[in-house]
Amino acid sequence: MKPALVKEVIKGIFGKPVTIQYPKEQTPIEPDFRGRHYADLKKCVGCSLCAIECPANAITMVKIPEEYIVPRTNAKRLYPVINYFRCVFCYRCVAVCPTSAYLATNEYRLASSNPIDSSQLSLSTTAKAGDV
Amino acid sequence: MFRVVEATHIIEIPIGPQHPALHEPLLLKLHADGERVVKVDVITGYNHRGVERLAEKNSFYRDIFIAGRVCGICNTVHADCYVRALEYMLDVDPPPRAKYLRVLAMELERIHSHMIILAVNAELAGFDTLFMYLMKDREYVMRAKEILTGQRVLADYMMVGGVRRDIDEVKRSRILDLVRRVEERVRYYHEVFREDVTINKRFRDAGRIKHVDALAHSLVGPVARGSGVRTDVRAQDRYDAYNEVPFNVVTEDYGDSYARVMVRLGELHESISMVKYILTHLPQGNPVPDERKLPRRFPEGESYAVAEAPRGELTYYVCSSGGDKPYRVKIRTPSFNNIVNSAFAYVDQMIADVPIILGSFDPCISCMERAVVTDLRRGDKYQVPLKKLAVGGVRM
Repeated sequence: MKPALVKEVIKGIFGKPVTIQYPKEQTPIEPDFRGRHYADLKKCVGCSLCAIECPANAITMVKIPEEYIVPRTNAKRLYPVINYFRCVFCYRCVAVCPTSAYLATNEYRLASSNPIDSSQLSLSTTAKAGDV
Repeated sequence: MFRVVEATHIIEIPIGPQHPALHEPLLLKLHADGERVVKVDVITGYNHRGVERLAEKNSFYRDIFIAGRVCGICNTVHADCYVRALEYMLDVDPPPRAKYLRVLAMELERIHSHMIILAVNAELAGFDTLFMYLMKDREYVMRAKEILTGQRVLADYMMVGGVRRDIDEVKRSRILDLVRRVEERVRYYHEVFREDVTINKRFRDAGRIKHVDALAHSLVGPVARGSGVRTDVRAQDRYDAYNEVPFNVVTEDYGDSYARVMVRLGELHESISMVKYILTHLPQGNPVPDERKLPRRFPEGESYAVAEAPRGELTYYVCSSGGDKPYRVKIRTPSFNNIVNSAFAYVDQMIADVPIILGSFDPCISCMERAVVTDLRRGDKYQVPLKKLAVGGVRM
């Protein structure tokens, strides 16, 4: 047996495994990883530019429900809803937004059996009329 | 009265389309006389997605991300080539720091692409331990790519007039640290590929391509360089920052699978030294253009850009009719040349060597599915529908 091989064998027996036991252990991720992102309704003006520019057609412009408070700049009361199953996480929408309204996170755990979109997250950035 | 006649009995063996050597769909129809291959038909078309047509339907900027998705492994090279074609059309010159960062992203990609194909080559030779080791150390490069671009594989890093994110001092030193670790391991793997008996026996003399054949069949990239053809677009065209970053073109003379493996190992060393040079000589300035201020409409005209992908010469032709969508985008990928034109390399080889030879060409099937046929004898050009491709491939 070659001496180099003995070293590898000892390293293999006593070393830490390379595989990450994923659900039990968290995968190390960068703070600026391109993960789940959503629009901040305090800044969004409903211009639809992100929906036009999205290469995957993942963004649809939706009417904001009546009970939510919307800044006066968003006269059309529209906001972007991202379908995370279609989204390719290129962050083109984040870059083209004229008011920098997108909030970017490094959340990568997006597996789900139900369709998921950004409407809940976006609506949570603004208050309802009755709450204030 | 009786004579013994030895009649050759040629049998047809399909290799593929389910994962012939790599996990990608390609059909090699072997005609074998015993264990000896006499003819190979390369049948493609199992992965045709119509990317060029899709590019015509979308705007110039959306196409940057579509171009990046032609191939997963070489996505920054595809995006860079397309973006440069757009920049030539707009007459935009990105700042020097952006050029350096583009080369950095592309060279990191070359390192991980070469490591993955070396790992697959080792696996095809039955050396699974080396496969695991190489894939483990490839993770360092993926990490470096994540630090640089924000995602492990699909970088989406290129934009007209620069790159999409800058690096700071902390990120620079972290990438440098990771690359130093990879360098140490690559030196070890070079030794393994040079000295291991099994690898030498399997790869030597398998699928030899002579210098003249490589030229006559217009092979590109490491396959051509393994046959002694000094072709490298980085050295010939000097696009982006390749005119300032020093590197050597690695060639081998013999032209067998082993030579191609050795070219890739040599290029790994070159790419690592380039990455280290870039990280220590990064120019100052702002490499990130404001994507909101880029022109939406493009002038009428056409442009053509060339890049050296990990697998060879990649070309993009973009034609604009003066709107916000391209009139035509034509992609010529290196694997198309290397796989379709290299059927002659399998002749007179053993059946067991066919996966080794295919693996040493580094095929990227999703890159190469293009379906316009030009018949030179009749002088006409026609499109092949997807249904026909799926049934029988393109008859050349």
